[in-house]
Order: sequence, then structure tokens, then C-alpha cells
Amino acid sequence: MKMMKSALFPQVAEVDIAPLSATDLDLVQLLSLAHDPKAGAVVLFSGEVRDNSAGKTVDYLDYEAHESMASKMICSIVEEAAKRWHLTKALAQHRTGKVMAGESAVVVITCSPHRKEAYAANRYIIDRIKHEAPIWKCEYFTDGTKEWGGNCSCQKLLAMPINTFMNLRVSFFFLIS
Amino acid sequence: MKIKVFAALKDYFDKDFLLEEDLKTIADLKAHLAKQQPKASALLNLCRFAVHDEFVALSHLIHENDEISVIPPSSGG
Repeated sequence: MKMMKSALFPQVAEVDIAPLSATDLDLVQLLSLAHDPKAGAVVLFSGEVRDNSAGKTVDYLDYEAHESMASKMICSIVEEAAKRWHLTKALAQHRTGKVMAGESAVVVITCSPHRKEAYAANRYIIDRIKHEAPIWKCEYFTDGTKEWGGNCSCQKLLAMPINTFMNLRVSFFFLIS
Repeated sequence: MKIKVFAALKDYFDKDFLLEEDLKTIADLKAHLAKQQPKASALLNLCRFAVHDEFVALSHLIHENDEISVIPPSSGG
């Protein structure tokens, strides 16, 4: 992984990493890529697999993506947010494949001189990735059953916000420069 | 045309397959798939369609060599 600043938007820096990863998300390494002396605020969001859903114990989730479309879409969402909130650095990475309960399925890191913009941009990015990127989870329960998130039980899909499946954990770091 | 389906749609269709039928628009394709697998029709109604990785409207005209992705509602994150 390497960092690259956009030539077109020198005040902005989308961190150049793969938007999809088939292996564990390394939150510490991703955070280290995002540190920036111009940023007084770094917000890290990690969407993690909760061990229960709809009253059943979750063993793991399996994420499938339309990889080319999802990658393009994540890059474009991050780029748009970076411009809109004048972020100094921004990145997002989503897992594919098997993710165990307690592991990170998606991470978004946003950096800005002050915390307001970093928080707003971070929420914008994760909301759009969850709702728009062609990525799907299949829940595997300890009782041996499985269920696609947002599958054919359409009433349930429409009645239940997608984020009820997730344990949402936000950590934040203030760096006073 | 080549069709790719994802997620819960794979319970009803092969993950990719070729269609030789004379289907003019994406709407025709959607109706054709629903006829093949009536149990998938509720899910198909929630799907978006993409041709060569770009989302298209139901009125989009299909070309012979198009690769069409059928995209169920996202459930990432």
C-alpha cells in the first residue's frame, strides 16, 4: 500500500489503497497511513460483525461484491467527500469473503483540520457505502442456517434499517497540532 | 447477452449465464427472468441493472454482446 496525493486536488488526499480486501482489515496500519500533520482530527469508523441478529447467534458473515463496480463506487464516494469537506486525508476499505463475529467488515478514516468536518464526512461515506455500493452480506448462524441480508424477505428488508445487522463502533482521535 | 447475478439471486439462477432470447430492453429481461423463476420476482423488482458496469434504466436497449449485471439491494457494511 502506498499513499498518493491527487494532482488535481492538492488540498485533498484520498489515500491510495484497494477499496476491497479479501483479508483482515488492518485498522492500525490503515490509521498509520491516515496521520497527517495538517489534520487536528482523525475519525476512524469500524463496522464490525455482531454476534447476534434477529434473536439468533451469528457465527460469521460472508460478503460478496460486484468487485469492479463496488471498487469504483467506493473510490468515487471517498473522493467526493474529501472535496466537499476539504479533508486532508480519507480512505475506506470493505471486506469480502468470510468475516467472523467481532471482526471489522468495513473501515472509514477521515482527517481534517478540525473534528466537525471529519465526523460529517465519515458518516456520509459510510452511509453511502452501505446503501449504494453493490456489496452483500450473507449471515451464517450457529444453528447451521443462513440468510442473505436484504434478501427475498422484502418486507423485512424495507422495515429494518440495514445497520441493525452491525455493531457500529466509532473510535476517534484528536491530534492537536 | 451475458447475465451475471449476485447474492440472494444465486438461490434462483446460475451466477452467470448466456441468454439467446430476443429481448429488446432491460424491462424485457426483467420480465423474462421473473417468468423463469416466479419466486424471484419480488426480489427482481428491487434490483438495479448495470450494463458494462454502469447502472441503466429499464428502458435501456440491450445489445447482443452486452454483459448485464442484476444488482440486488445493497447490504454491505
